[in-house]
Amino acid sequence: MMNCRRGCFRALTKRMNDVLVWIHGDDLNPQSRVLQAHPQAPRVFVFDDAVSEHYQLSLKRIAFLYECLLEIPRIEIRRGDVFAELVAAAQEHQCNRIVTTESVAPRFARLCAKLRREGRLAVETIPTEPFIELSAQENARLDLKRFSRFWNPLKARALSLNQSFDW
Amino acid sequence: MKLKTEFGDREELLTYLRATFTAAAARSSDVAELRGGRKAAEAVLQQIQPQRYAATRNHLRGTVSRLSAYLRHGVLTLAEVRRFALQRGGKQAEKFVTELAWREYWQRVYAKIGRDIWKDRESGKTGWRPADYTDGLPEDIAQAATGLRCMDSFATELRQTGYLHNHARMWLAAYVVHWRRIRWQAGARWFLTHLLDGDPASNNLSWQWVASTFSVKPYYFNRDNLEQFTDGVYCRTCQHYRNGCPFDGSYDELQARLFPRANQAYE
Repeated sequence: MMNCRRGCFRALTKRMNDVLVWIHGDDLNPQSRVLQAHPQAPRVFVFDDAVSEHYQLSLKRIAFLYECLLEIPRIEIRRGDVFAELVAAAQEHQCNRIVTTESVAPRFARLCAKLRREGRLAVETIPTEPFIELSAQENARLDLKRFSRFWNPLKARALSLNQSFDW
Repeated sequence: MKLKTEFGDREELLTYLRATFTAAAARSSDVAELRGGRKAAEAVLQQIQPQRYAATRNHLRGTVSRLSAYLRHGVLTLAEVRRFALQRGGKQAEKFVTELAWREYWQRVYAKIGRDIWKDRESGKTGWRPADYTDGLPEDIAQAATGLRCMDSFATELRQTGYLHNHARMWLAAYVVHWRRIRWQAGARWFLTHLLDGDPASNNLSWQWVASTFSVKPYYFNRDNLEQFTDGVYCRTCQHYRNGCPFDGSYDELQARLFPRANQAYE
């Protein structure tokens, strides 16, 4: 009896640690780092009705996204409220962890916070390969006031295929 | 709500999307020729000629990459396109890689300012006050009915294809903001509705660059410039070519006309 209970608990724990990959519009690459890290995980994209309405998206934009999505094996495509749809997908697939690609969009940060807080889901974000590799210190030093100030210190490195020389 | 993922062909997909996304289809049911997906992206990538980009990019028939929609949606990463361009073009790929860096730059600014991407980054340098600009895009611009062959052609192309050459974007944005004195946000929203590469970072900050709220001077152009980089294809059939072309004139004349209150020489 005890063994069975322990076994059932272990099986449940294992299931509940499973990952749901959240695919969003900033990373529709079927070879993305997120998909490579979790090749067996269920993957979900949600067409955000609020965003479509806010930006008054035309059909051709949706069609382009859809065509990108159809090249991602086993993709589940949903539409509606992103938070509600992701929580529903996590429940259906018995996942308690969402893994997704980092995005700079403020809406993305708000959604991640809500999924953690209200959805009670762990959320892990994976960055895409950087344009050029920079240390944390170098990143902090970047001047974004004008493009030229940003670009001049990086130019030589970005134009070299070998990035290993000193900055 | 779950959506369908199995389709026999593109027509079946588009029929399904028109029936499913009715509000979007009502705004504009056009679909782009450019296909989504990694396979299509790789085929476009194979066509790029980064070594010819610098010399020809300003011309509407120039050797531009058409990769923007794939980059915007991460189908291709900036890092892999940068490597590919350098392998193919070597030192001659410099201008091409610099344009990739602009996208990286806009993303970093967006990460820093968030929703303020919709606000002026700085005061404009046109001599006009914010209240001098009108909210909302006039119907004649959106409907490609200004009577200006160039601008109407760009507006039509935007709606039908979801793409515009960068120079056409600049001309159209300058027309909206400086000739019509419309707030840049109205134009930026219009572009985001249609552009397959529409992204608040690159789009809004480029509009601000034209408007001079994220640059040291406003961007404007004259007819000679537009004619030169379009081979005059629009001017040739434009009813306003000999009579009332608003872009006709030297840069000094246009500056005096567009920005009479600016006390600083721009060009």
